[in-house]
Order: sequence, then structure tokens, then C-alpha cells
Amino acid sequence: MQYLRQVWTIAAKDLRSELRTKEALNASLSFALVILLLFSFAFDPTAEMTREISGGLLWLVFAFAGALLLNRSFARELENDCLDVLVTSPVPASALFLGKALANWVLLLGIEAVCLPVFGVFYNADWARQPGWLALVLLLATWGITVIGTMFSALTVNLRLRELMLPMLVYPMLIPCLMAAMQLTTALVAGQAPEGDQLAWLRMLAGFDIIFTALSVALVETVLIG
Amino acid sequence: MREKILYILGALAALLLARNIWAMLTGLPDEAFQGAIFRIIFFHVPAAFTCFLLFFVALIASISYLKTGRMQWDSLAVSATEAGLAFGAANLVSGMIWARIIWGIWWTWDWRLTSMLVCWLLYAGYLVLRRAVEEPAQRARLSAVLSILSFTVVPFVFFSIKWFRTQHPQPVLYGEGKMDAAYRAMLYGNWVPLLMIAALLVAVRMRQERRLRELDALRREAHAF
Amino acid sequence: MGDAAARNFQYLAYGLIAVWAILAVYVLTLVSRERRIGREIESLKRMIEDREGK
Repeated sequence: MQYLRQVWTIAAKDLRSELRTKEALNASLSFALVILLLFSFAFDPTAEMTREISGGLLWLVFAFAGALLLNRSFARELENDCLDVLVTSPVPASALFLGKALANWVLLLGIEAVCLPVFGVFYNADWARQPGWLALVLLLATWGITVIGTMFSALTVNLRLRELMLPMLVYPMLIPCLMAAMQLTTALVAGQAPEGDQLAWLRMLAGFDIIFTALSVALVETVLIG
Repeated sequence: MREKILYILGALAALLLARNIWAMLTGLPDEAFQGAIFRIIFFHVPAAFTCFLLFFVALIASISYLKTGRMQWDSLAVSATEAGLAFGAANLVSGMIWARIIWGIWWTWDWRLTSMLVCWLLYAGYLVLRRAVEEPAQRARLSAVLSILSFTVVPFVFFSIKWFRTQHPQPVLYGEGKMDAAYRAMLYGNWVPLLMIAALLVAVRMRQERRLRELDALRREAHAF
Repeated sequence: MGDAAARNFQYLAYGLIAVWAILAVYVLTLVSRERRIGREIESLKRMIEDREGK
């Protein structure tokens, strides 16, 4: 029970800190919206095209926006030695990690919640035809992005070229998750409920989440403390 | 003494390869639909097996490093990863050449090709991470974690063509596909020299890691004044 | 041998060459790194000897 409370405390701290300054949130959201708008402007997709690319486009946007957000996750603790304090505190490293991942998850979901209506408007897409399934895919895939991103944020926090290394390491690792999310989202935005192959993608997404959450929780202490 | 073993290994591998290539080109009958290019499979598939095996070795080495803290495990991890990347690249490129003539395209984003490429990129990232960390113990620790995380993709690659209907040919070694016995023998048979070469590369690279540590020590001694 | 079959064989040759070229490139990087290490070790050894000689 205390463990969960610790996770929640860290998550709340991170959320409060981010919502007060809104630095990363603004940068991330602006970036996402700009890509969406530029894409619509550059390609002016027809309804047919939009139906085909919706999943790919949306998840690329979310992944890029996510990278901006996740970079800050552990990096913001470097000032004033906050990271050292957190690591040496009685809070276990895995609780620190889960708390941050949780906060990032909520923030990224928030960005996605803003991007979807914008997508609907500028691409004339009726994206909410399978709201339940879409919500599930958003929750699962965003957790996948968040878990990997937070983990790599911890891994690269002390490195020189952090801003460069994080995206470079994170994107290949995310490809299974993103691929599943893209396939599922394209079908869901087109209005089809998942079946057959789609359910396999969904299972894979769930499996991805479970495996990487478990691995990250197990390894984050080694990464942060040694 | 160790040098001699390596040379003998190299010579054996070369002999086996020469014999295999000769047998490959003259002994076996043509495959029904694909013609001569099909024989690339005797390098394409064993290269993939070797690549995965090497990444597995890197996984074990990484876990061992985290458990024991001995630098030899770190040396094994980086050596196995580098050799794995070389064989992985050989697999990808030979696959692309095959695809060009059979499918008419160099690449397609089907699940097996994608996951193999992702696998390759992940481990290439491992090497890049190592360059970014100067302190040897920290470098070993962080790259060990990365190696463990990256290995989770490898089973995906191996089983992906069984789980998803893809453009890549269905499995012929397990599952529903059947392969002629002579072909199968050649495929596994050609794996042996590739494994020998892999062992050679890892051994040479590990020796190099030892020299690098020697260099590091000398550097510290020289600049200590 | 027909045209298509000849092209087929050509690609087989490319494939085999590619596999070996990639492995050869790796071996070459190993060799060049070895040489660089050797040179650095030599120069450092000399530097240390000089200093001790003084």
C-alpha cells in the first residue's frame, strides 16, 4: 500500500510541477498541432487518403510529441541535485519510475485528447465511431510509449547528448507498439470494430506493455543507482 | 597458443565454406519456382540464426555483467553485439537482393522485415550509446540494461512470420512448409562455418577489448604526472 | 541459359558477394582499430619511458 502511495506522490508531484510551468506541455502540444496542420496543408488528403493514413499520421504525431515530453521527465530533476535527492530517498527507484511514467502517461493522453478533435476538424474525419475501442488503444499504446520513454529518459539522463540519444534509442524500441497502434487506429477511425488480425495486434500491444513495464521496473534501479 | 586455435578455426571455416559453395552450386537440383537465386537462402537464413544467437550471447553477457560486475562480461557483450550486427546486415542485404529479383522490390514493410530492421537498429543504438558514455563502469552498466531491453524484440522477429500472414515466405523449417531433405541439410550445414566465423570475430574483438583496457591504464599512468 | 536465368544467377552472385563484403568490412574495421590501438600503446609506452629516463 505504501508503495502505491509513493508512486502516486511522485506522479502528483510531476503533474503539479508540469502543469504549473507548462513548458514541456506547451512545446509538445504546439509541435503536435503544427505537424497535423502542416500535413493537412501539404498533402490536402481526400477522404479516402485520410482513411488510409489516419493511424500512421496520428501515432507519428503522438510519438514525436511524446519524445519532447519524455525528455524532460528525468532531465528536470538535474537542477539543484533533485535527482540525487530522489534516488537516495526511501522511495524505491521503481516507485520513482512508475510515478514519473504515470505522470507522463496522463500528460501525453491530454495532448492526444486535444489533437484528436483538431484532426477531426482539419481532415474532415469522423474519428469517434468506435469510441470504446479507440480509448482502449489510446490508453494501451500511450502507456507503451510512456514506459519506454521514461525508462530511456532515466538511462540517458546523465549523458552528454541526451536530446539526441533519447529519440534515437526510443523510436526503434517503440516500433512494435506504434505499428500495432497504427493498424488498430486506422481501422477504428474508419469505423470497423477489431476482429481477427486486429485482435492479434491488440494482444500484442497488451503484451508489449506488460513485458516492458515489468522489465523497466526491474532494471530502473540499476540504471539510476548502479 | 590461442592465436593458433584462431587460425585453425579460420582455416576450417574457409574450407567448409568452399566445399559448401561448390556443393551448393553444382550438387543440388534447382528449386521449382525461383531458380538460382533461391540458393542465397543458404546464407540468408543461417546469417539470421547466427545473428540471433550472438544477440542472445550478448544478453547472457549483459545479465552476467550486472550480476558480477566483471568487465570480461562487458567485453563479451560488445563483441557479440558487433558480430551480430555484421551478420544481421548480411541477412538484411541478402534478403533485399533476393526480394529485388523475386518480388521486384527492394523493401517492404511487412512484419518480419520490419522487426529484423528494428532489431538491427536497436543494437546499432547500443553501439552509439557506448560511444556516448566515457566512464567504463557506467558504460558497461547502461549498455547492459539496453541489451536486455533490446533482446525482447528478437523473439518477435523469430515468430512473427508464424503469427502474422505476411509477404515474407512462410516458414519452411518448422510449421506447415516442407523443405527437401537435401536442402535442409545444406542450410543447417552452412550454418556451421558461419558459427565458426562468428566465434572467430568475437574472440578477436574480445582480445581487442583487453588491449583497449591496457591502453586505458597506460593513458592514466602517462597523464598522471 | 535464358536471359531471365542469367539475371537470376547474376543476382545470386551479388547476394553472395554482399554477404562476404559485409563481413570483410567488419574484419577491416577490426584490423584498423587494432593498428590504432597498437600505435597509441607504443607512443604512450615511449612517453612513460622518457619521463622515467629523465
